[in-house]
Amino acid sequence: MIKKILIVDDSPVARAIVKKCLPKDHDFELSEAGDGQEGVQKFKEVRPDLTMLDLTMPVMDGFGALAAIKKEDRKAVVMVLSSDIQKKTVAKVMDLGADLVLPKPPSAESIQEALTKAARILEG
Amino acid sequence: MNISPSVHTFSRDEAAILQEVMNIAFGKASADLARVIDIRIELSVPQVELMTADGLLPRIKEETKVYDALSIIEQNFWGKFSGSALLAFPSTAKKGLITLFDEEGEEDSPLLEKETLLEVGNILIGACVGKVAELLGDMVSFSPPRLNPHVVINNLAQEAVSQQLDGADKTAVLMKTVFHFEDKDISGFLFLVANQDSMAWLQTALNNFMAKF
Repeated sequence: MIKKILIVDDSPVARAIVKKCLPKDHDFELSEAGDGQEGVQKFKEVRPDLTMLDLTMPVMDGFGALAAIKKEDRKAVVMVLSSDIQKKTVAKVMDLGADLVLPKPPSAESIQEALTKAARILEG
Repeated sequence: MNISPSVHTFSRDEAAILQEVMNIAFGKASADLARVIDIRIELSVPQVELMTADGLLPRIKEETKVYDALSIIEQNFWGKFSGSALLAFPSTAKKGLITLFDEEGEEDSPLLEKETLLEVGNILIGACVGKVAELLGDMVSFSPPRLNPHVVINNLAQEAVSQQLDGADKTAVLMKTVFHFEDKDISGFLFLVANQDSMAWLQTALNNFMAKF
């Protein structure tokens, strides 16, 4: 079951949208980071069940953060949540080990569905 | 994030929402173009800046000053969301752009260069502006694209890129994103300028957008 979620996005608006879309009947422990580098640091501190990761970010982009997180813990469950929905981008993040890819903007339904899939992946 | 706090009619929060809307819209636009050319487009974090209209051209000049000259495709759009879109490439990129559509490239052909620039502009501007409008609950119409194949940067302010950009007393929203074609040495800039007539609607629409979630 997904309990701890880390949201990595440079846009406070994008992070707010994700939080609004999360199911209200779950008591998630949420952490946030504003760029990829901070995201990797937070990942190491928090060890989330699910990391939601944007791709286009300053300092360290989502590709770098994804690679660093997967290097740190190859079983980490990472969902890329991005407006960059190019076929080659999706292929690139899957190659880097992303477990799920969700286009922006999310909806309550798409987040719920993604959480269900993430929980299955987490449980192995 | 580069959001100027100085303009009175737009809050920092509203500018941040617009930045995310622009991010989503340009993601859609780049995916549309990538489907046609089969090349990944690297995106940057979009920037939103609120300013008076007379500051726009100097600002664009400042952003693109590393190049001597630009090829600019311009399209005006109107609906509740109205303004101008400027897609700019370094003038030296014209041949590289042709190879996006034809790997072998062609000999010098001004007509092919023109058609290629207009096609890239048509896809990127149409998809990006259309998506911004759609996300904000509007639908826009477009003027035919206008190409200025060689604009010397130092003369940019004098070359009257768009009459919509005139008017020292008017407030405008400048949205900028820089993109790069992977494996090609080509970068481009997309500037969207929402004009003053859109401001009141835009503020309401941005708040409605957030309220949907």
